[in-house]
Amino acid sequence: MLFTSFDFAFFLPIVFLLYWIFYKNIKVQNVIIVLASYVFYGWWDWRFLSLIFISSLVDFLVGRELAKVESKKGRKGLLLISLTVNIGFLAFFKYFNFFLDNFYSIFTFFGQSFNGQLFNIVLPVGISFYTFQTLSYTIDIYRNKLRPTKDPIAFFAFVSFFPQLVAGPIERASNLLPQFASKRFIDDKTFSYGFKLMVWGFFLKLVVADRAAIYVNAVYNNVESHDGLTFIMATVLFAFQIYGDFAGYSLIAIGTAKLFGFDLMTNFKRPYFARSVSEFWGRWHISLSTWFRDYVYIPLGGNRTSKQRWLYNLFITFVISGLWHGANWTFIIWGALNGAYLILEVLFNKKRRSGIHNVLLTFILICFSWVFFRSNTVGDSFLIVKDIFTNPGDLYIGIGDDITAPIYAVLGITLLLLFEVRREYFTNLLSAFWNRYQLVRMTGYSIIIFLILYLGVFNESQFIYFQF
Amino acid sequence: MNLITLKHGVVKLLKFLLIFLLVDQLLGYGVHQLFLSQDTGKFARSSYVINDSNDEVLLFGSSHMVRQYVPEIITKKTGLTCYNAGAEGQQLLYHTALLQMVLKRTTPKLVVLNIDEHWLFESDVAYSRLNDLNAYYSYHKDVLYPKLKEKSTFVPVKMFFKGYQKNSTLVHVVRYFFSPQGSFNGYKPLYGKMQGPSNKSHNNEALSENIDLFLVQNLELFINLARENGVKLLFVNSPYPEAKDFGNNKSLQKIKQIAKENKIPFYDHLNDGHFVGNYAMFNDPMHLNNEGSEKFTGLVADHINMEFPDLVNDSK
Repeated sequence: MLFTSFDFAFFLPIVFLLYWIFYKNIKVQNVIIVLASYVFYGWWDWRFLSLIFISSLVDFLVGRELAKVESKKGRKGLLLISLTVNIGFLAFFKYFNFFLDNFYSIFTFFGQSFNGQLFNIVLPVGISFYTFQTLSYTIDIYRNKLRPTKDPIAFFAFVSFFPQLVAGPIERASNLLPQFASKRFIDDKTFSYGFKLMVWGFFLKLVVADRAAIYVNAVYNNVESHDGLTFIMATVLFAFQIYGDFAGYSLIAIGTAKLFGFDLMTNFKRPYFARSVSEFWGRWHISLSTWFRDYVYIPLGGNRTSKQRWLYNLFITFVISGLWHGANWTFIIWGALNGAYLILEVLFNKKRRSGIHNVLLTFILICFSWVFFRSNTVGDSFLIVKDIFTNPGDLYIGIGDDITAPIYAVLGITLLLLFEVRREYFTNLLSAFWNRYQLVRMTGYSIIIFLILYLGVFNESQFIYFQF
Repeated sequence: MNLITLKHGVVKLLKFLLIFLLVDQLLGYGVHQLFLSQDTGKFARSSYVINDSNDEVLLFGSSHMVRQYVPEIITKKTGLTCYNAGAEGQQLLYHTALLQMVLKRTTPKLVVLNIDEHWLFESDVAYSRLNDLNAYYSYHKDVLYPKLKEKSTFVPVKMFFKGYQKNSTLVHVVRYFFSPQGSFNGYKPLYGKMQGPSNKSHNNEALSENIDLFLVQNLELFINLARENGVKLLFVNSPYPEAKDFGNNKSLQKIKQIAKENKIPFYDHLNDGHFVGNYAMFNDPMHLNNEGSEKFTGLVADHINMEFPDLVNDSK
């Protein structure tokens, strides 16, 4: 089920009412969350519910056993079971064809004809998110940083919690799991805060991301027909598309969780105001960045090692992060490029910079990396880069007679930037949305909802991060 | 949570809903006035056809209609007043709905429908583009609801909000305010000239080759509506620069069959020798330029004169 579908508009109030009817009984509330989450996920494809169920069951049992077993070997064995099941699912559903395809390509490269076939494997929505979330649970128990839960329903609810099941934020067990064991509260302030976050999320998704997507898709899906200026325009729009799409999803998820009395972690902090790439990664997809920091970068040695090894750790973490985003060389190059940016910042000690020109420079560097992220193939991305630097050509402004797509996109982005500039630089400035008078606040949010209805795209398009 | 906080929360929610409804009505009224203020552009044309037109001949169709039929020539050759009500990218559902809305207010003597050969094939686009008529939902719910609900859920809920009804109209309003669109009784000429064969593939926007029965029903509805209201019908296919074999096109064959069963004259110009290979008459592989359009409209006017001599004589 999509947050932007009208199905969700009916699903949410029903679950909300049912959930709060039983506000005195957290066990019943947890059962309602598990059932609602399975309905939410099964709405897309019920067959893949079995994967979530198996992941949850294995990790619950592994976690319980880890608390009992003391021998190092036994604990390693248990962790290996969890890693094998979760990474195994991910490897099969997400990467099997990619590795097979590259395996065939190696044979072809060395002049051997190899007519291998690829398999028709459907990628289960959100598999990368919930496997990472549940993995963090067993790893933390293995590291003695977390005590396992004895409540299977709470654990199943933690893994499948529908607001963040398919696209995060990737929560840590240490933050979210205890919330399933404690009583939850809601009052009008929490409700309206959650609701406001959802409204902003819908604005980002429907007015910014989906509007930009029309132009971006028209250009990136037909690279042969366009030139450098058009690619620059499409890439800048894509920067806002992916931000609107993913930050929008995160806000809706955090807001929805609030309605059920849960606090999820902040996932985005106005990333395009970052003054360096390292700062950008502290503001972008924070739940994933910190996951990779804690479970990949630090175990590799982090920065408490030789400089050479430190740079290697940075680079390899970003390459793996690229691969996490998708089974395509475009994502690996994107990850490697970001790793390279960070290495350069370390080498030239440019991590702490100031000034608007650095915001702009960082934005340009990030946009450049988005070229690889968005391109359908590596060949497309190199063609785009080549055209950007050598063939500006004419700016494509629309499909046939219709030039409205980029105009709507720019309009949505302008509104977004107005709000974000205010939050980044002018926090004391009066605003309708933080006003002390309820009537002004309510009118402000009513206008935002009106703008969503008036300017948004209502084709129930998927969120980009569902594919990851 | 206790009863006091619950009560407080419900009151706050009701207050917000009330304010939102007021905002939606107020801003909705504003954007409606803005919408109606358009003098040119696609919405101005559809508003004219629905609310004001009294022309004797109305021309319906996609860009093949808007870009290729010159009302002035039809008026000149038949003596009948004429308006080009075509809409770019629109398909059968849109035209049927448009005809239903027009017939509530006025009765043209003749409707010419330019047929696109893929119109009966299953295609989401045929349904999604019907959204262009959402702006008229408040006044034509009976016409639009049965069509919109085929591929969209919760239509009455969505259409309850004025903002949603006018979704995606703002930029058109602003654009045509600052840069009015040239239109000659609905006709929008193209002035380019093809130099020769094009490499571009023939894009018919069809996603499948299965016939959509709902679209068939709408074609029959279009015909029945015209018949019940005493409106004469003429079906026409416009030409392409290159000859193509449409013998196996199930959609086109079905349309021809329906036309034949209902005794509607159907003039197929798809592979018309006047135009095939004559690239100088085309703007692009899909559309005639102004020169070609004038010649083609002349042929259509001749068909009208031949098929409907009574109408033509009456007007003279």
